[in-house]
Amino acid sequence: MVIIARGFHEPLRVPELRQMFEARKRVFVDLLKWDVPVLEGRYELDQFDDPQATYILVTDEDGRHSASARLLPTTRPHILDTLFPELCASPPPRGPDVLEITRFCLGRGLRAAQRLEARNCLVSALVAYAIEHDIATYTGVAEMGWLQQILAFGWRCRPLGLPRHHDGKLLGALRIDISPKTPALLERSGIFREAPLAPAPALEAA
Amino acid sequence: MATFEQAEAFLRDVSDTTSEVELAEALDIVTRELGFTYFALTHHVDIRLAPQPAIRLHNYPGDWVEYYDENSLGVSDPVHRASHVTSVGFAWSRIPEMIALTPHDHEILARGGARGIGDGFTIPANVPGETHGSCSFANPAGAAMPQDNLPVAQLVGAFAFEAARRLWRVRSPQLIPPPRLTDRQRECILWVARGKSDWEISRILGIEHETVVRHLKQARERYSVAKRTMLAVHALFDGSISFTDIFRR
Repeated sequence: MVIIARGFHEPLRVPELRQMFEARKRVFVDLLKWDVPVLEGRYELDQFDDPQATYILVTDEDGRHSASARLLPTTRPHILDTLFPELCASPPPRGPDVLEITRFCLGRGLRAAQRLEARNCLVSALVAYAIEHDIATYTGVAEMGWLQQILAFGWRCRPLGLPRHHDGKLLGALRIDISPKTPALLERSGIFREAPLAPAPALEAA
Repeated sequence: MATFEQAEAFLRDVSDTTSEVELAEALDIVTRELGFTYFALTHHVDIRLAPQPAIRLHNYPGDWVEYYDENSLGVSDPVHRASHVTSVGFAWSRIPEMIALTPHDHEILARGGARGIGDGFTIPANVPGETHGSCSFANPAGAAMPQDNLPVAQLVGAFAFEAARRLWRVRSPQLIPPPRLTDRQRECILWVARGKSDWEISRILGIEHETVVRHLKQARERYSVAKRTMLAVHALFDGSISFTDIFRR
């Protein structure tokens, strides 16, 4: 199932999001050794996890987190312009129809086949979300191995600048242009999943 | 010095190309802009089509190709092996730091030098569920490595590989979907990969010996392979099981 969540002042109080923050800690801190803040030794949250962040969650049949991503508006400071401006040859794309994809997270407990399925669902949900909300462009920063995979999804990607070393990793910035044709492009790569296009139950803050 | 704009121009040229010739021509131009003479792009689209030879797009001179064919590089090529241990471009001169080289590897590399093959820069392109591929830029022996251009080369290599992958996918639309395994079959293969015999697997899973034999026989049939080792390799390759699954206890 796909869940869209946004507008929370205290996201840790939302069970679905709490699970996601835990999964993020296991992936980004424990596995990838990112130097990012951890709350209570269990949750990975930073200054961008605020009411303006939108979360796309993929859960398994028991409602547990399998994959997630965080979308940040580009009309205010975000990761690319705040932390990695050197990855962009010119100022990064911004505007109401541009969102930044951050914290693309696949649960560590997943087995190989489930992992690919969760990834495919999440990528398809990102595309469905963009089409529904008139988002024309996603931007994002990725380590080179992951960047190659992002290209392989088949959607239209362009680099924003030259890759650079950062903390021992080679990072690159991308823009992904979304159009009504994007689902067909994902389909050609065998990763498009129809299900996420169904309206997702939104956990809107009261 | 090569610039980001040159990389962008290359990407514009190849983003919608439907021809290998066009891609090769664009690569040929960008290769020179990057300060290299030669390029080679390789990929096996699918291990299950293995009898089909590796697809190679390159502008290597005849005697280099001969050298690679003679040494049946591709599988045992130290450059390709090194490209499996990193996702970041590397200079060939760094390979001895990346993987353990046998005396035979050293001999192969030395013979390449004797043929006039100099230093090169290889950008690995590993997509899960597909055989590994890479894009290499190289110079004749004696030419200096264009260090300043390597970030541009990294970008060009990554996108060139994806452009080629797209072309080859279109060309072989009849790609066989990976066989579907049952949970039990998958579990048995996992224990095969961990080196257990059928009898041991039956003890571990608490099922009949014959049941394990049957699960594995059916799984081998789905992959059309005769041996249990090949079964594990195929399941690992297409993502039915992962390295993490194997080493998790």
